[in-house]
Amino acid sequence: MADPGRRSPKVLLALSALLTFWCLAVCAVPASAAPLDRARFTADLCGDAAGQVRGAESLVQAGGDLAADDLAYAGRLLGALAERRLACPAEGAVLFDRPGAPEGRDALTGAVRPVAETRAPVLGLRQRAAVETARGTVALLTGPDPASRAAGLSVLERRIATVPAALLDRARDAETDASLKGTIAGLAQAAALSSPDPARRRAAIAAVAASPSGTAAARLEALKGDPAYASDPAFRAALDAGLAQVGRAVAVGNALAILYNGLSFASILFMAAAGLAIIFGLMGVINLAQGEFIMLGAYATYGVQEAFRRFAPAQLDLYLFAAIPVAFLAVALVGIAVEALILRHLYKRPLMSLLATWAVSLFLVNLVRVGVGTQNLQFTMPAYVSGGIPLYADFVITWNRLFAIGFAAATLALTLLILRRTPLGLDIRAVTQNRDMAACLGLPTRRIDRLAFGLGSGLAGLAGVALCPIYSVNPGMGSGFIVDSFMVVVLGGVGSLAGTLVAALGVGGANVLIEPISGAVAAKVIVLVGIILFLQRRPEGLFAVRRRR
Amino acid sequence: MSGAVQTALAPLGGPARRALRDPLVAGLVGLCLAAAAALLVAPPAPFLVNVLGQLAAFAILAVALDLVWGYLGILSLGHGLFFAIGGYVCAMHLLAHGAAVTGVLPDFVQFMGWKSLPAYWFGLDHAPYAFVLALAVAGLVAFVFGLASFRSRVNGVYFSIISQALVYVAMLLMYRNDTGLGGNNGMTGFPLLFGWPMGSPGVVTGLAVAALVTLAAVLTGTRLLVGSAIGRRMLACRDDETRLRTLGYSTTRLKLGIWCLSAMIAALAGILYVPQVGIINPRVLAPDLSIEIAVWVAIGGLGRLGGAVIGAVLVNGLKFWLSAAMPDAWPFILSGLVLLVVLVLPNGLLDLVSWRPRPTWLGGQR
Repeated sequence: MADPGRRSPKVLLALSALLTFWCLAVCAVPASAAPLDRARFTADLCGDAAGQVRGAESLVQAGGDLAADDLAYAGRLLGALAERRLACPAEGAVLFDRPGAPEGRDALTGAVRPVAETRAPVLGLRQRAAVETARGTVALLTGPDPASRAAGLSVLERRIATVPAALLDRARDAETDASLKGTIAGLAQAAALSSPDPARRRAAIAAVAASPSGTAAARLEALKGDPAYASDPAFRAALDAGLAQVGRAVAVGNALAILYNGLSFASILFMAAAGLAIIFGLMGVINLAQGEFIMLGAYATYGVQEAFRRFAPAQLDLYLFAAIPVAFLAVALVGIAVEALILRHLYKRPLMSLLATWAVSLFLVNLVRVGVGTQNLQFTMPAYVSGGIPLYADFVITWNRLFAIGFAAATLALTLLILRRTPLGLDIRAVTQNRDMAACLGLPTRRIDRLAFGLGSGLAGLAGVALCPIYSVNPGMGSGFIVDSFMVVVLGGVGSLAGTLVAALGVGGANVLIEPISGAVAAKVIVLVGIILFLQRRPEGLFAVRRRR
Repeated sequence: MSGAVQTALAPLGGPARRALRDPLVAGLVGLCLAAAAALLVAPPAPFLVNVLGQLAAFAILAVALDLVWGYLGILSLGHGLFFAIGGYVCAMHLLAHGAAVTGVLPDFVQFMGWKSLPAYWFGLDHAPYAFVLALAVAGLVAFVFGLASFRSRVNGVYFSIISQALVYVAMLLMYRNDTGLGGNNGMTGFPLLFGWPMGSPGVVTGLAVAALVTLAAVLTGTRLLVGSAIGRRMLACRDDETRLRTLGYSTTRLKLGIWCLSAMIAALAGILYVPQVGIINPRVLAPDLSIEIAVWVAIGGLGRLGGAVIGAVLVNGLKFWLSAAMPDAWPFILSGLVLLVVLVLPNGLLDLVSWRPRPTWLGGQR
């Protein structure tokens, strides 16, 4: 090949094959493997103001493609420059451990050598900004922990217009911390949206519209003020299409969120009302202390949490589950005591039993107020009831509400099981339907009353457990539920668990549906008026239990 | 004492004598009138006068509830609503009257940034109109709610629960600031009553005397009512509504009429109460307060008008004293009192007068 004139076609073929191979090889190698011209970079940083800016900016531009050790080298050099630990004698740049040290390490080779001239290049204001941006790039790409990477990102954010997309893409792909990853992605999107390249902008709009949310809508909405919206028809079309897509998705997501909130509200209502319905259906007793039983359940949960904290701190996360039987039994015992001491004497006088339970509720509230205090209790929230997963648009399945919904479903299943499949349930149903006949057949109706009252109170205790992750727990919390849950019982029909469930879903759903339209107060008014009107048609409620009195 | 009263009232004719044959009511009426006269002749410290006047207002409220609960068997847990209607309209009158005389708009109107009172306040500076309006609104609300409930035969605890929900919803509504009724701060700072400065000894005494005289009048009137044929029908309805209806009486009309009357008496109590305390706010509508009215009646003696008065005076007197002396203990005392009464004294403290050794829950007769 010494003589180009005698180059045969065969050689040419081999050459082109070689070229193709080289090209393929280069293309196959990850982009990050491209080398940094260390000597030139070093010379740039050691040079004049223009050189320093050129060097720093070239690093930012190439940042997405550089290998990790090159980045580390650049990071060392930039850090030394910024902290005045860099000297540039004629024989090559030297890094010191501290400013003004007698000897340092050669920037390129790492060899230790004495230095005569220790004057560091001075950074002007403009150069400093460029160097900081370059350092941010290095920190974002090679920072050892999320905090340092986040710090690098926040430096880049200030000059986001100059940051190339490849750099942010690489940082996002390599990021292991989920929240930081999201931040980087958002920033990359914002950068692309304000990019000078129209095609890239349109692609960015489509990308934003593909993952719709309220913030995405706001971000796109802001672009309507962009001059390109008026001048560039393609941009305008892309933006309008993106906005329409996001708007639809956000509407669907909000509807889902309303349904979800309604379902969780209904679950709470159901749990508060289920015990009431059983007690009312069986004994005709309005238990005005049911709200306070819920409060006691929440306080029992708090007690379990404190016991875990003292005796088994490692298993603290499990306290909510441990609290389930504790709260049930504790509140059931309180209920049985109330029944045995007070209500037993008042079955012939339901209105007086109503006042008696009111006195019990007043007593319990003030007992807790004096004994524990009026402040809200502090609960540690285990991972399974905090946070949530975003499902669609702005609709997030929050774990605490899902916990309440699942809890209510389990409570419903358990209560049905007890009522339908156990001897106690059979007795309760028999006494509910015809007390006198049940007594004639030898059922101990008073004992059944007491157990059923315990069951109903225990259900309130369970409601207290489910409320802990959602509501604030304080002595007065019970009064907030009592009116709503009575509405549910009245609407559903006394003594009917199915009616209670349907009524809870109806009242919860109606409240949540009306609330965004006309406010929380109007929602309550409308629901109450609706219930009164409904009772005109069916005074016995939705599902009246057939019975003889 | 009752004998003397009856002798003195002999020229009044048959109905009044019949009404006052109830020695308890006669005694209480006499006591009220005597207290009113004593206040006019030799008024004690204004604080005491004020307390006496407030107790009289509460007693009127208790009589209103006893009328429907004790004599018709309808337990309303929402009577605070009618009390509040009277109180709110009275407060509106006082503010409108003050604004008309002094030209200064009430605080909450300025707070909301309005330039004048809302349109529906028109004419409220005239006391007779305000008085009629208060009673009319209370009667109308009671009529609509009562018609809806009694027509569909919502009874017993059902009715109690729904009436509680009614007062609860009203409370939520009044907590809103845009209703033109003071919002969560309520209405206060009444400057004048019929042109006289509020809080002067004469006005305080006058209000207390008015409350006492009204209490005496309400007691007499309701006693006349429950002693009449209508009263016997009320008792029949309480004891067996189905049988009364089967006998051809319209129980719905009977219940509705007495229910509206009771609501208007409660509104009257509210009218008398607000100028004495100088404030009204949505807390009057808290469900707890409405239950407390029932507690007064139950403690004093359900189904006896005098019992309601005694209960209201006793509980509120204790409350005035204890919630200042030992505020933490008061709820315990109240709940203990309620439990004691419902368990041991089923007819309230009046049972103490005719004490039976075996209370009902030990097998005694009610």
